[in-house]
Amino acid sequence: MKPLHRLASEFFMDIKNSMMRSFGEDPGKMLLHTGTLGWILSSLAQVTAVVFNDKIPKKQKTFLIPQEIADAAINIGSFYIFTNSFTKLANKMVSTGKWRTPAIDAFLKKYDLKKHIGSIDFNIKELANFDEIRPAYKAIASGNAIAASTIGSIISCNIVTPVLRNKYAAHKQKVAIARMEAKENAAIQSPKGVSMATFIRNAQYRPRSDMKI
Amino acid sequence: MHGQVGNMRISRRPISSTPIGRAAKQFSKSVGQTVLNAMPSHIFTSERAINTFQKIGKYITPAENRLILGLSAIFLQVGIDAMNHSVDEETRKISMARTAAKVIAGTLTGFAIRKALIKSVDAFSVLPGTLGKNGKPIRRTRLNTFFSPVTKALPDSDEYQNYKNGLGNVLALIVMTFTNFAIDMPLTRFLTNKFAEKGGLNNETSS
Repeated sequence: MKPLHRLASEFFMDIKNSMMRSFGEDPGKMLLHTGTLGWILSSLAQVTAVVFNDKIPKKQKTFLIPQEIADAAINIGSFYIFTNSFTKLANKMVSTGKWRTPAIDAFLKKYDLKKHIGSIDFNIKELANFDEIRPAYKAIASGNAIAASTIGSIISCNIVTPVLRNKYAAHKQKVAIARMEAKENAAIQSPKGVSMATFIRNAQYRPRSDMKI
Repeated sequence: MHGQVGNMRISRRPISSTPIGRAAKQFSKSVGQTVLNAMPSHIFTSERAINTFQKIGKYITPAENRLILGLSAIFLQVGIDAMNHSVDEETRKISMARTAAKVIAGTLTGFAIRKALIKSVDAFSVLPGTLGKNGKPIRRTRLNTFFSPVTKALPDSDEYQNYKNGLGNVLALIVMTFTNFAIDMPLTRFLTNKFAEKGGLNNETSS
C-alpha cells in the first residue's frame, strides 16, 4: 500500500491536471463553476452562522434555517441558470460560426462549410483542420466566453436574485406580522361571514402616500 | 445490460440512451437551435472589436470579474431595494444600508483575496523554459512548481493562464470560507450601522 503522503500528492496532481483540462480551454466554464462553488460556500457559511448562533432561540432557528436555505437555493439556482445559459449561448455563437472574424469566414469559405453556419451540431473546434484557424478563433472565443459569463452573473446576482429575494422576504415579513397581530387580537372576534384575516386587513388599511392616481 | 439488487433488476443503461433521455436530448437540441436561429449572425470586421475581445480574455481574471460584479451591484441592488415598496420605509432604508454594506465588504475582500491567490499561483507554477525578469530561464524547484500540472507537452500560454486563474479562484474560495466570518460579517455590520446612521436610522443591526 502506498504511503499517505504519496496518495495525497497523487490526488493533488490529479486535481491540477483535471483543472488544466476543464478550465484551460473554457474560461467561461471556469467562472461559472467557481462562481457556483462560491455561492454554495457562502450559503453554507450563512446557514452555519444561524445554526451555531447561541443568541438565536431554538424556536426561531426552526424558521431562520429553512429561510436561509431557501435564500441559498434562489441565489445558487438563478446564478447557475442565467450564467450557464448566457455562457453556453455565447460559446455556441462562436463555435457554430454565427459570430466570426473575417479570417474564420475565409476559412469556412475555403472548405465549403458556410452552409453549416448556425447549425447546433456544427463545431469549428472539432474540424480536422482547426489548427489552421486556432489563433483567429481563440482571439474572440475566450473574451466572448468571459464577457458572456460576466453579463450573465450581473443579471442573475444583481437583478434577478435581489428582486426574488425581496418578494420572498416581504411575504415572510407579512406572514410574521400577521401572526404577531393575531396573537395580540386573539380576544377580538370578526363579524359573522368575514374571516379574521380579512377583518384585520380591512381595519388596518391605510392609503399609501406614494400611490399614483 | 441489467444488474441485480436483491429481487430488483436494475438497468445499467445510461439515462441518455433511454427513450425518455433521448426525447429530452432532442427537445433541448431543438430549443437550442430555435434560440440560435433567433440570434443575429455577425462578422467582426473592426480591428478594435477583435482587440477588445482579446483584452477581455487576457485581463479579466476572476478577481476583475468580482470587481465588475460588485461595482454594478452598488447601483443595481441598492436601487432595487430603494424601489421595494412592499415593505415600510424604515425597513427599506435598513435593507438599502445592509445591501450597500454587504456589497462593499464582499467586493473588497473578494477582489483582494482572489487577486492575491491568483498572483501566488502564478508565482508557484513555473513551466520549463519560463523566463525571469532578467530574461534568463527560471530554475525550477519543488516550491516554484508546486501548482504546475504534469503535461506531456507545454500547454498553450492562454490556456495555462486560464488554468492559473481558475486554480487561484478555487483556493480563494476556500480562504473566503473563513474570511467570510472573520472579515465580511463584522465589516458588513460596521458599515450597515454607519450607513443607517447617515440615513437617519439609529437601529443597531446584527449580521
